[in-house]
Amino acid sequence: MSAQYDDGTILLDDATLERFHRATGGEAWPCYQCGTCTATCPWGRVRQEPLLVRTLMRNAQLGIDEDGESLWLCTSCGICEDRCPRGVPIVRILRALRSLAWKDRRIPEGLPSVLWAVHRDGNPYSLPPCERTRWADDLEVKEFEPTDEMLLYLGCTASYDRRIQKVARSVVGGLRAAGVQFGTLGASEPCCGETALAMGQTAFAAEIAEANAKLFAARGVKTVVTISPHCFDMFQNHTPRLDEGFEALHYTQFLARLVSAGRLVCRGSFPRRVAFHDPCYLGRRNGEYDAPRTVLESIPGAEIVELEESRAGALCCGAGGGRMFLETPVGERFSDLRVRQAANAGAEVLATACPFCITCLEESAPQVDQPLKVMDVAEIAARALEPEGADVEATASGR
Amino acid sequence: MNPASNNGLRTIVCLKVVPRPEEVRVDAETMTLDRAGAQSFINPPDLNALETALKLKDACGGEVSILSMGPPFFEPYLRLALAVGADRAFLLSDRAFGGADTLATTYTLAKGVEKIGAFDLVLCGEESLDGATAQVPPGLAEWLDVAQVTCALEIEKVPGKREMRVQRELKGGSETLSVDLPAVVSVKANVNEPRFIDYDRMEWALQEAPVGVWGAGDLATDPELTGLAGSPTTVAGVRQVATPDRRRKHLSGSAGEIARALADLLRTQTGSRGG
Amino acid sequence: MAASLIRPEEAQRIWVWLEHDGTSLEGVSLELLAKGRELADRSGEGLVGLLMGHELDSLADEALGYGADEIVVAEDPLLEVYTTDAWCDAAAQVVLEKKPNILLFGATPDGRDLAGRLAVRLRTGLTADCTDLEIKTDEPALMLAAEVTGFGGGVAAIIACKENRPQMATVRPGVFRPALRRSHGEEGVQSRCPVRIDPGRVRTRVLERRIGEAVDITKAEALVVGGRGVKGDFGLLETLAGLLGAELGASRVAVDEGWIEKDRMIGQTGSVTRPKVAIVCGVSGAMQFTVGIMEADTVVAINSDPEAPIFESADYCVVDDLFSILPPLIRELENSR
Repeated sequence: MSAQYDDGTILLDDATLERFHRATGGEAWPCYQCGTCTATCPWGRVRQEPLLVRTLMRNAQLGIDEDGESLWLCTSCGICEDRCPRGVPIVRILRALRSLAWKDRRIPEGLPSVLWAVHRDGNPYSLPPCERTRWADDLEVKEFEPTDEMLLYLGCTASYDRRIQKVARSVVGGLRAAGVQFGTLGASEPCCGETALAMGQTAFAAEIAEANAKLFAARGVKTVVTISPHCFDMFQNHTPRLDEGFEALHYTQFLARLVSAGRLVCRGSFPRRVAFHDPCYLGRRNGEYDAPRTVLESIPGAEIVELEESRAGALCCGAGGGRMFLETPVGERFSDLRVRQAANAGAEVLATACPFCITCLEESAPQVDQPLKVMDVAEIAARALEPEGADVEATASGR
Repeated sequence: MNPASNNGLRTIVCLKVVPRPEEVRVDAETMTLDRAGAQSFINPPDLNALETALKLKDACGGEVSILSMGPPFFEPYLRLALAVGADRAFLLSDRAFGGADTLATTYTLAKGVEKIGAFDLVLCGEESLDGATAQVPPGLAEWLDVAQVTCALEIEKVPGKREMRVQRELKGGSETLSVDLPAVVSVKANVNEPRFIDYDRMEWALQEAPVGVWGAGDLATDPELTGLAGSPTTVAGVRQVATPDRRRKHLSGSAGEIARALADLLRTQTGSRGG
Repeated sequence: MAASLIRPEEAQRIWVWLEHDGTSLEGVSLELLAKGRELADRSGEGLVGLLMGHELDSLADEALGYGADEIVVAEDPLLEVYTTDAWCDAAAQVVLEKKPNILLFGATPDGRDLAGRLAVRLRTGLTADCTDLEIKTDEPALMLAAEVTGFGGGVAAIIACKENRPQMATVRPGVFRPALRRSHGEEGVQSRCPVRIDPGRVRTRVLERRIGEAVDITKAEALVVGGRGVKGDFGLLETLAGLLGAELGASRVAVDEGWIEKDRMIGQTGSVTRPKVAIVCGVSGAMQFTVGIMEADTVVAINSDPEAPIFESADYCVVDDLFSILPPLIRELENSR
């Protein structure tokens, strides 16, 4: 244990230092403590005391295990990393510090239960695996076969969360309109493991990733298309590639390809002012800014406006890095700032493409004076597929 | 991994593996339960018991053993408990133990506890998800002729004495007891948050950790007292109960009509008998 | 099989263990007296109530009025508060002396604590947490058929104990209607059964008891829950909760707005609750909320938005403004008191 005294003296401990270096792989060393990270962190905009990212990097360098709550505030939005002049992989270092905190049992209440749920139920919501296909009860979505164009991977939130199930149904509507041959893994679809990774349970996440890689290989999956950018990031960057031809895509990327190929054509219209909120895991973490905009721009009538902070500078919704499973007090939610930006841009619809972003933004939306509807890109596309505003999501449900 | 220190607690945690309740089917013809297709997991309150044991070990040292009775496929779940933090595990497994009710189960578990050796504390989850009888801990205490506390909320060791202080749930409140050791204590579900698997222990737990598997011969059990033979109760019939899926029934009409319908509903649901 | 200490042919009558707080009987004991009476009448057996404790005179008189043919009183200073060892020793002595055929307990913390141990001491069968009881009159000996549920309520089984006596069962509170007080002249008789308890065998000591303290919505049997739709006014919900003996719960929005304390928050970052019934008013029903009521037996949802996802998670759905439904509902419940 290292110790910090009132006069500012820090007593370092060799064993802790060694432990920290092993966990972080020394990746914090290039940091020269300029503080750009602390200055750019969104927490500074909702709290008197910002999240001291620079201090966390210093702690990682010196082996100081006194992070307390601050270690668990990071939403892994990656804006600090993007601006870091030394290219320090800050999010990865924080994850390593979290993994050490698990070892020492310095863990916020509630997180172990979320991980047990992932371990036992295959989803972080403690819901039975047999209910995983409920979202598609009346859609007749078939099991994936190797001859299919792609595997549609729902992910836990789109499978179980009734709000996000609507997004999944809209994606299905779009795929069907474009004549895509696809299937799902049904009730045997596993969790992608991103929750475990974000919380610093790197070994557990690796175990899940390895099992998933084997599953994809065994089932003959070449292309997996996800609803959530978090699952996409997991498959793209943290899941071993057993097959060279394997490709992970976010659904906006797949839809954008269909649009460019002329396979997905919106015959209806969506005459609204739409602003797009870049999900961190799609944008900054994976560099995809254009695909969702390509889809939105293909929709007749939609007037696309840009938010004050967009693309690489996008403000996080606040739910990444495991924050979805921790309480954020009123007045400290990034999504409150984001919906105000949408209102300032004159948007009627705030579009995004991530289940967590939808949940947070929708909760904050009533705070702005003018009506602001939060929709997924897929939902907007599904609305505009047919003339006269026929609702494809509803049609697909057979209502 | 850690040897028991002289003054540490020797704790045995009883652990059961239960099938996913929603996947258990009743075979209408044979009137038996079909668990074959069901996935299993560690009975959730047993993880609360394990967490209690590990916290006590953190505080006063000692050793935590896992004890379970069931078929060989339970073993990986016992190893999971070892990866969470337990030191060793024992599985009582024999065809002769099959079909046991609580009398036969508690007899067999008691023989297992005796074979493990001297102990201070046996911790159990409050009840199992499948049987939900909550009768194993008191029955086990009786066979072992030791003190018992059920529905425990908090447990702490009294320093320097062979005694625990246990807060126990009562109807509408709680009581604090002092309990002589050794004792059997059942832990309420959800009283703590079970720590997650320690992946640094995983390799040891899966490969090296000792898991003793004991049959009727090892325990020298009386065949008249184990399994089906030792069970005074019999299952006269089983049936599937309607799925707990939400009914989504819409109540319509004027506000007054809806209020009357709701009032009738609430009177039966809350068992409020006219105040 | 090892025989029970009591032989079937010597066992007689239906017994109910009467739980009490020193001044009045537990609700479940009254329920068991009513059900026991019904079973006794059907089988032609007698019904006995077993009252254990210390200085029980007035309670014994009270207990006589609920349909038992006899109240057996076992008193000892060591039975003043419940401890497993003292009560199990005393109960075993009474049972071995009187040889009941059927012995019923409420499935309360103390009822389960005692019954589980006593059954093993008597080497007999115990059916736990029953949801129904029946007497099989076609069997040679008076046989109890007890219904239990398992696997999270998905499977019901009928359990019988054919050869061992007494046939013991714990019964879930609230499944039977309680016995009504009988008029004078219809009461049973009272008798005493002496017991001897060795204080050296009592291995637990009660240091402190606390009844009815801080709110814990996870233990509430009924909940009235408010969300954004209550618009800052929990008054009606509080009145309704009072009438139902329910606790107040809230969604995150209601807590965020400062309308109610945080320890009443339900959901992913609040509490997971398990009430018999939850009345959910003006909550839209995001999954972060509904995971907290997933284990409620019955969910009633009131919301003016017909599209609110809460209706997917409800048993009874009322698409209306809570401010127009709650006042007449409160009047209905008040009138029926």
